[in-house]
Amino acid sequence: MLTDREILSTLEMLKNEHLDVRTVTLGISLFDCADQDYKRFMLRIREKIRRMADNLVKVCDEVGIKYGIPVVNKRIAVSPIAVVACAFPAPRMVAIAKTLDEAARATGVDFIGGFGALVEKGLTGGDRALIEAIPEALAETERVCSSVNVASTNAGINMDAVYLMGKTIKRAAELTAGADGIACTKLCVFANIPPDIPFMAGAYLGVGEPDAVINVGVSGPGVVKKAIDRARAANPNADLGQLSEIIKRTAFRVTRVGELIGRQVAERIGVPFGVVDLSLAPTPNVGDSVGEIFQSLGLKAIGVPGSTAVLALLNDAVKKGGIFASSYVGGLSGAFIPVSEDLNIGEAACKGYLSLEKLEALTCVCSVGLDMVALPGDTSAETLAAIIADEMAIGMINGKATAARLIPVPGKKAGDKAFFGGLLGEATIIPVSTHGGADTFIRLGGRIPAPVQSFGN
Amino acid sequence: MKKMVISVLGCDRPGIIAAVSKTLFENQCNIEDVSQTTLQTEFVGIFIATKPDPLSDEDLLSRLNEKLAPMGLSVLVKPLQESGEWQAPVSEPFVITTLGPDRLGLVAGITEVLAQFGINITNLRAVFRGGNDPRRNVMIYEVDIPAAIDPHAFRTALYRRAEDLGLDISLQHRDIFETIHRV
Repeated sequence: MLTDREILSTLEMLKNEHLDVRTVTLGISLFDCADQDYKRFMLRIREKIRRMADNLVKVCDEVGIKYGIPVVNKRIAVSPIAVVACAFPAPRMVAIAKTLDEAARATGVDFIGGFGALVEKGLTGGDRALIEAIPEALAETERVCSSVNVASTNAGINMDAVYLMGKTIKRAAELTAGADGIACTKLCVFANIPPDIPFMAGAYLGVGEPDAVINVGVSGPGVVKKAIDRARAANPNADLGQLSEIIKRTAFRVTRVGELIGRQVAERIGVPFGVVDLSLAPTPNVGDSVGEIFQSLGLKAIGVPGSTAVLALLNDAVKKGGIFASSYVGGLSGAFIPVSEDLNIGEAACKGYLSLEKLEALTCVCSVGLDMVALPGDTSAETLAAIIADEMAIGMINGKATAARLIPVPGKKAGDKAFFGGLLGEATIIPVSTHGGADTFIRLGGRIPAPVQSFGN
Repeated sequence: MKKMVISVLGCDRPGIIAAVSKTLFENQCNIEDVSQTTLQTEFVGIFIATKPDPLSDEDLLSRLNEKLAPMGLSVLVKPLQESGEWQAPVSEPFVITTLGPDRLGLVAGITEVLAQFGINITNLRAVFRGGNDPRRNVMIYEVDIPAAIDPHAFRTALYRRAEDLGLDISLQHRDIFETIHRV
């Protein structure tokens, strides 16, 4: 017999604290679609995505209704296209992106990830073609997401690729100048990209993964915030050790929900269950914010002194609770701090509490990096590359995934607002220091060697 | 030996279970199952016990009454029907929760829909304290939904009824609660 408390507290999480499954992502390997013949290749990927994902949305909705837990987003992640389609030139890559977009639309998912490349040690012809195609591909499609891994702890940082990505982001923004550079919201540059991320824009299906797999991204910042608020109201003297315990228990609950829903969906569509990504993923809604958790712990806003310590505590407690809840944890697993996608973080940036430099510091202790950061439109490709290089260095040295999703908003300057709509939200453009000699540094190119992994000071 | 059901109802106080079980013990009755619940001030206990053949049903009732009537307790004694007339179909366990202001006919309204679809209630707690605070007016039904019924039709009927009654309703598979709260 269930207790009233178990039932009513679950309802409270669902109705008032935004408990949901943020995304169920079906990974589909496209390696068996590879073909020298371009038309046959397109036909095969279209057919395979349709065949594997035809029931995904319907099944997710049915399972969501059965358990009373909404599955907010249903998505597809495919093998890195630069590998699968390495024989094709850039214009064909754009056409492949359009085919992925059509297949995504036909299956009813909101995003399809995997239009990406893994270039931390060097670029193949396919990698170059794909990166060249990214601006047009993202500008001319609606649902395609792209991620390019340019650094890893084992390989170092491919600075030629970093520069190339600075130029690519710049070009993608220009091609969607009328929509505040929205193409850049679908493009992540990574260090140590995990092969099983369910979240966009980084999702792709890694080369060691099965033919198809379900990965789940949980949500829950609102649930964590309310749990902290309740604990502090019940015991105003609760210290950070006790509050960490509260977060840990809450993360356990949220993760268990994700795993239950993911396994049910996987079983019904007949593919293996992969991982739960233990991320606290916000949305641009009141009460569904990672930023609000900082306020629940006493800070005026995310970005003020103390913020990095709060985020370290939060991220660690989420991992501890989540890892106990599920034996199969993967993806990014940590708190997200996407500036435009989190109402409270967006406000902190708007009011000047949160600078680019503080954001960078925060990314040392959380996933995933400089995420959805709107920058002045006149930020040069070299400066963008330098910001990316800094972020990659944090990932490389700390042996963690980090990413940069930067939007140089065409025609707008620091303090202006950029509007992306829906889950992507809106963001105040934050200033960038442009007097630092990034041009010279970035043009040096080459590969920053892999770091020593002992003497960890 | 014959299995008997003994139910005891009355104002709650210390010593009720002791009085019943002592009488059963003195009459060589062996208790197999006991459950009790208390609503506001009222206690109800239900016992299943085996009775030695020489002791008649009427004798057992009168001995219980001798002890319990002075305590203000009502007693019902009847033989246990070993196999019920109703056979449980293959089902899945769900939980229905309603929140909403009190009014006449809430339990009747919801349970009518459950009965129409052949859904058995395995546990029910309902609290109505009046007023408009939904948290003070809650019904929690644990139910078994037969696999054979049309889940969409049932859900639609249930939610429509809840809307008519002014209730905020949820219908969720039981596993979600165990998953969230239990290790």
